Amino acid sequence: MDRPNSRTGWIPPLALCTGVGLLVCSVADALSRATLGVSPLIYWAGILILAVPTFYRLTSEDASPRERLVLACMLGLALYGVKVMRDAPIFTFSDELIHGFNVHQIAASHHLFHSNPTLPATPHYPGLEGATSALTSLTGLSSFVAGVLLVGAARLVLAASLFLLFQRVSRSARVAGLGVAIYAGNFNFLFWGAQFSYESLALPLLLLVMMGLAEREAAPPTALKAWGAPVVLGMAAIVVTHHLTSYAMAGVLVALSLAYWHVRRSWRPANPWLFAVLGIALAAFWLVAVASSTVGYLSPVLTDAVKAVGNTIAGEKPPRGLFQGGSSTAGTTPLAARAIALLAVAMLAAGLPFGLWQVRRHLRKQPFAIVFALAAIGFFATLALRLAPAAWESGNRASEFLFVGLAFVLACAAFEALRRWPRSRMSRPLVAGGLALVLVGGAIAGWPWDSQLARPLRISSHGQEIVSPPLGMAEWARDQIPRGRLAATTADAGLLLTPGGVTAISGNSPDVEDLLAEEHLSGWELPLLRRNRLRYVVADQREVSSDSLRGYYFSEQGSRNAQLMPKSVIAKFNRVPGATRLYTNGTITVFDLGAQR
Amino acid sequence: MRGHKDLRSVIAATFACGVLALVLPIDLLRLVFALPLTLFFPGYALSAAIFARDPIDRAKLLLLSVGASLAILALGGLLLNFTGGLQAGTWALLLVLVVFAASRAAALRRPPAGTTALALPRMRLSALTAAVLAVAALSAAGAFALAFIPLPAKHAIGYTELWLQPLDSGVRVGVGSDEQERMAYRLRVSFRRGRASVIRRFALQPGESHLLQLAAEPAGANRVPVVVALYRSQQPNRVYRRVSGWIPPQGAQP
Repeated sequence: MDRPNSRTGWIPPLALCTGVGLLVCSVADALSRATLGVSPLIYWAGILILAVPTFYRLTSEDASPRERLVLACMLGLALYGVKVMRDAPIFTFSDELIHGFNVHQIAASHHLFHSNPTLPATPHYPGLEGATSALTSLTGLSSFVAGVLLVGAARLVLAASLFLLFQRVSRSARVAGLGVAIYAGNFNFLFWGAQFSYESLALPLLLLVMMGLAEREAAPPTALKAWGAPVVLGMAAIVVTHHLTSYAMAGVLVALSLAYWHVRRSWRPANPWLFAVLGIALAAFWLVAVASSTVGYLSPVLTDAVKAVGNTIAGEKPPRGLFQGGSSTAGTTPLAARAIALLAVAMLAAGLPFGLWQVRRHLRKQPFAIVFALAAIGFFATLALRLAPAAWESGNRASEFLFVGLAFVLACAAFEALRRWPRSRMSRPLVAGGLALVLVGGAIAGWPWDSQLARPLRISSHGQEIVSPPLGMAEWARDQIPRGRLAATTADAGLLLTPGGVTAISGNSPDVEDLLAEEHLSGWELPLLRRNRLRYVVADQREVSSDSLRGYYFSEQGSRNAQLMPKSVIAKFNRVPGATRLYTNGTITVFDLGAQR
Repeated sequence: MRGHKDLRSVIAATFACGVLALVLPIDLLRLVFALPLTLFFPGYALSAAIFARDPIDRAKLLLLSVGASLAILALGGLLLNFTGGLQAGTWALLLVLVVFAASRAAALRRPPAGTTALALPRMRLSALTAAVLAVAALSAAGAFALAFIPLPAKHAIGYTELWLQPLDSGVRVGVGSDEQERMAYRLRVSFRRGRASVIRRFALQPGESHLLQLAAEPAGANRVPVVVALYRSQQPNRVYRRVSGWIPPQGAQP
C-alpha cells in the first residue's frame, strides 16, 4: 500500500472509515433506543469498519511513526466515542452515577471530601471530580459533558503514552502501533475502562508516568532530572485520584527497580528505585492520612477473593459460569459470541510463548520488557480468578493493568511474524484479522452481550421528550425533596445520586435491599430506617430495579425487563401508620415515613 | 519573555480564555475557551519550563501538554479546596497563575538562542484530502448528534406520574404524562376520608403536566388526611394512580 500523501499518509481515508464506523454504531444504538429489535450485527459491523482498516495500516511496513501515532490516538478516541454514544446525554454506569454525585457535591459546596452514601471511599480520591469541577464551574455545563471531555482527554493520553512507551522500549513504531491495537482488545477498553470513574483518569496517568520513566532511561544525563519532574507530577496526581492505580503504580515501580538491578546490577540512575520509594510513601501517606476508609472498602473484596479461590480449588463451591450476568434480568450471550470471545482468549494465549521468545531474544536487557513479560504471564493468572465467584472482580480489575504487558509481548510476536513473512499476501490480513478478533472478543468478554447497545432512557412521543420511570422519579426527587435521604434499589439509587443529586442508600449494608424486596414488614425494617436517618423509601416493583446495568431504562412490552414483583413490595408501606405516599408512577412509589420510621 | 514567542502567546491566550470563559453568557462558547485553558495551556507551559534546556520532540510535547494539564487539574482541586474553594473564578486564577509562573520559568531557563516552541506542522492538504477529512468529521459529528436525539420507541411502556406535596393549609398535586398517547384523566382529591372532595377533568399530551393547589379547612388540633386518586377516562371506575398524605405534613406542627 503506497502512501497517497507523503505528509498525511493514510490518515484521511482511515479517518473516513472511523467516521463511518462511528455513524454505523450510532445508527445501531438509535435503532435499539427506538425498540426496533435491531440486529447486533450492525453494531459489530460499525466497530469493524472503524477499527479493521486502521489495524491493517498499522501492520504495514511503510507507515511513518507519526502516522502510526495519529492512528493509535484516533483508534483510542473512536472506541471511546462508541461508549459515549451509547450513554448520551446522561451517565448510566453505576460508578459514573457515584462519581457524578461527588461532582454535584463539589459544585454545591465548592469543596472536596464530602460523603458518598454508596461508595464512601470515592470522595477521598477527589482527583477526577476536582478536575471535572474545573470544567463544570468554568462552563456551566453538566457533569456528563465535562466528564466525557475529561475522560476523552485521558483516553488520548492513554493511547499516546502507550504508543510512545512501547516505541521507546521496542525501538519500533510498528511494534508500538500493534501494541496499542492489541491493548484496545483488553476486556475493559470499550466500556468499563471508558466510564467516568477515577480509574479512567488514573490509568492514563500511570502510563504517562511509565512513558516518562522510559524516556528518562534513554535521555542524556543532563535530561535525567527533567524527565523526573513530569513523572513525579503524574505520580502525585495518581495518588489523589485512585487507590488501586496508586498501588499498581508502586508495584510497577518496585518491579522496574528490581528489573533494572537484575539487568545492570546497579542502583544508580536511571534505576527508578527512588521513584518507587516515593510512590510507596505517597500512596501510604494518602491511605493513612486521608483515605483510611479505603482499607474497609478494599479488604473485604480482596479477602473474599482469596477465600473464593480457595473454595473453588477445594471443590467446596462450584466455579463461576462464564458469560453469566449475575442477575435474573440479564440476557444470555449467543453461542457464536461466546465462541468469538473464547477464541480471542485462546489466540492471546497462543501468541504468548512466541512473544515471550521474542522478548527474550531481543529485549532481555530491557527492564521494561522484563516487567511487561511478567505482566503478560500474570494476565493469564487473573483469567483463572474469573472462575471463582467472589474473585471475579479482582481478576477483572487486575487484567486492565496486566494487559499492558500482554499487549507489548504480543505486539513483538506479531511484528516478528510480519517481519519473517514480508512477501506473504496473507500475513498482514491475518494479523489485522487477529487484531479484530481480539477487539471484538475482548468487548464481548468484558461487557454483557445484552448491554452493548443503547437502551431507551429518553424517548420522543408526539414531538415531546419523555424519560424512563426511574429517571422521572429521580427528577421529581431532585425538585421536591432535594435534601431528602432515601432508601432505594440499586438502579433507582444510582439515578437519585446523578442526575437527582439527592442522598440515596442501596445495597445490603445497611440491608435496604431486603427491606425493599420483602413482601411484608416484619419488625426490623423501620428501626433500620430510623437508625440510618432514611425518611423516604422508594419502593420499586420492577425486578430489573436491582440491576445496576439494566434498571435505568423504559421497560419494553413482553421483554425480560418488564417483569414485576408482587404488588405487596410496595403495598406493605401503606400499612405504616402515618405514612405518606408522596409520588407514584405505577411501578415506583415514594413514601415519606416521617416520624413513624 | 522577549524572544519567546510561544510563551508570550500561551500567556496571552490563557488570560483571554480565562476571562472569556468567565464572562461569556453561552455555555458552549465558554467551553470553547475553557478547554484549552484547562486541558492544554497549563501542561504546555509546565513542559516548556521543565524541558527548557533539553528540548523534546513535538509528539511528546503535545502529550505532556495534555497529560500534565490533567495532573495539574487533579492536584489543583486539592490546592483550591484549602484556599479559595473550587469555583469558576478561583480555577481561572489558578490556571492563569500556573501558566504565567511556568512560562516565566521557561523563559529564564531557556538558553538565549534556544527554543522548545511548539511549531505546528505546516499542513498543505489537497482538495481531495481536505474533502475526505471533512466528510470524516461530518460523519463523526452526525454520529454524536444522533446519539443525543431522543427517538420514538413504540414498544417502550409509557406511564403517568402522580405526586402530592402536603402544605401547612392545603395540598399541591401534580400529574405528569409520560404516556405514549394523549390521555384523558379524572382527578379526585378527598379530604377527611371522603367528606370533602374536589374533582378535576383534564387531558395531557405526552410530556405535559398538570398542577393544582387546593386549600383544606383545618380540623382543629388534628391532621387532615388527604387522598388523591387518578382515573383514566377509558377505565373510569378503576383507580390508576393514588397518593395520600396528611395536612399539615409530617414534621410540621398541626
